[in-house]
Amino acid sequence: MSEDGGIDSFGGDEANTAEVISDPPVVPKVWSITQVNRAVKEMLESSIDALWIGGEVGQWTRSRPGHCYFTLKDEQAELRAVMFARDASLLPTDPEQGMRVRCFGDLTLYERRGNYQMIVRRIEAEGEDGLWRKAFEKLKARLAGEGFLAAERKLSLPAYPEVVGVVTSPTGAALRDIVTVLRRRAPWSRIVLSPSRVQGEGASEELAKALDRLVESKVPDVIIVGRGGGSLEDLWAFNEEALARAIVASPIPIVSAVGHEVDVTISDLVADLRAPTPSAAAELVVPDGVLLLSSVRAAPLRLSRGVRRAAERRRARVTDRMRVLSRTMERSIRPARQAVGMDFERLERSIQQSLEQKRASFSMLSGRLEALSPLATLARGYSVARTSEGTVLRRVTDFHPGLQFDLKVTDGTVEANAVGPVKPGREER
Amino acid sequence: MIEGDGNKVGLEKRLERLEAIIDRMESEDVALDEALQLFEEGVGHVREAEQVLAETELRVEELLAGGEMLEREIEEE
Repeated sequence: MSEDGGIDSFGGDEANTAEVISDPPVVPKVWSITQVNRAVKEMLESSIDALWIGGEVGQWTRSRPGHCYFTLKDEQAELRAVMFARDASLLPTDPEQGMRVRCFGDLTLYERRGNYQMIVRRIEAEGEDGLWRKAFEKLKARLAGEGFLAAERKLSLPAYPEVVGVVTSPTGAALRDIVTVLRRRAPWSRIVLSPSRVQGEGASEELAKALDRLVESKVPDVIIVGRGGGSLEDLWAFNEEALARAIVASPIPIVSAVGHEVDVTISDLVADLRAPTPSAAAELVVPDGVLLLSSVRAAPLRLSRGVRRAAERRRARVTDRMRVLSRTMERSIRPARQAVGMDFERLERSIQQSLEQKRASFSMLSGRLEALSPLATLARGYSVARTSEGTVLRRVTDFHPGLQFDLKVTDGTVEANAVGPVKPGREER
Repeated sequence: MIEGDGNKVGLEKRLERLEAIIDRMESEDVALDEALQLFEEGVGHVREAEQVLAETELRVEELLAGGEMLEREIEEE
């Protein structure tokens, strides 16, 4: 309030009265500039609550400490506006000249210059997501220009990570969700949390540092960077450059997992894989433990089948080789065998012939021998008389009565006696 | 590229090797001697991997600013 009782002393009635009274000359109440500016400022601030004002952005300048000075205007009028660094730092990007915006703030008066102005606390561009969209597109274009969005620079995730790094708030739902999923799917694994705030001023830088530390530790096989769902502004740290560059720089594969409210964040774009939620990210980074364990347990059977197959193949190969070998041998000895075969035949034939000749001559000889044999003579009825000593009795004179001798006939020997006198020459042939 | 506990072959490498062995034995013409060798190696990997996978206690640690690790308790909802 002003020194002498307030704004009302400015009021019309009193002023008029002062003008009419000319004598006695009354020294009018004179305000200093400071007084009047302060009075107007206080009047403005106390009578008009914070409000939204819509218009077009005119000139926009950002001072070194981060305060932003600009004008808001429509066809007929202009309004000066200022956004102090604390609020301006939360802007995703500066609005462009001519952009239609709505500003929330207080009307006031800048006493030093007597300028009436608006102290803006929030700016929203009209249209979908406005400044956020614009900031997003700008950063996206820059990162794309540097090649960071290219599919070929994405790292592939390890199939069986043992250590899963997590960059998120130590108190948020994201961490709890990830722990729940890993405990169920991959209880053998290990989580290493690198804690960071995930929203508010400087959150992106803090996330980037937390990620860098995790990467430097070289402990994780894969890293999840994320947070649970939130408004576009809550998620903004994941749309900022600091985190984006840390993700790009990591040699360890990174899965981005920012809550599902917005379609996509810059972190999603530069990460090696994007998951819609932290739980989904956890599902993606580890295999299903039950399946994995059963396939590991099935491995020995498959291995032993492999050995059996190899053994069978070898046996088949040996048989095969044998067959080939015998075929080749067959082929190589065939001419020789044919030649030999021919000779054999001849030999056999000649042996046969000579055998037959021999047999023929033998039978002839044996016929002649037979003719000479006394047995044949005996067979015709002749007999031979011999003494018991074997002397042949040829002549009558060889006999005397009473002589005992052997008479050989064709089928045996008869013992005989000479009984009477013998007459020589009679029965001779 | 990344060390696990650093004391032995990591699960990742072990299982990848096991897969490669099985693939080779199932798809290629492996000589018996080699098959036997692969079998032996594969069974070794199975034994080691099973030991790791049978672990049922998820560990949660926090990486502190100084680089050291601190065991953490995370309760589920």
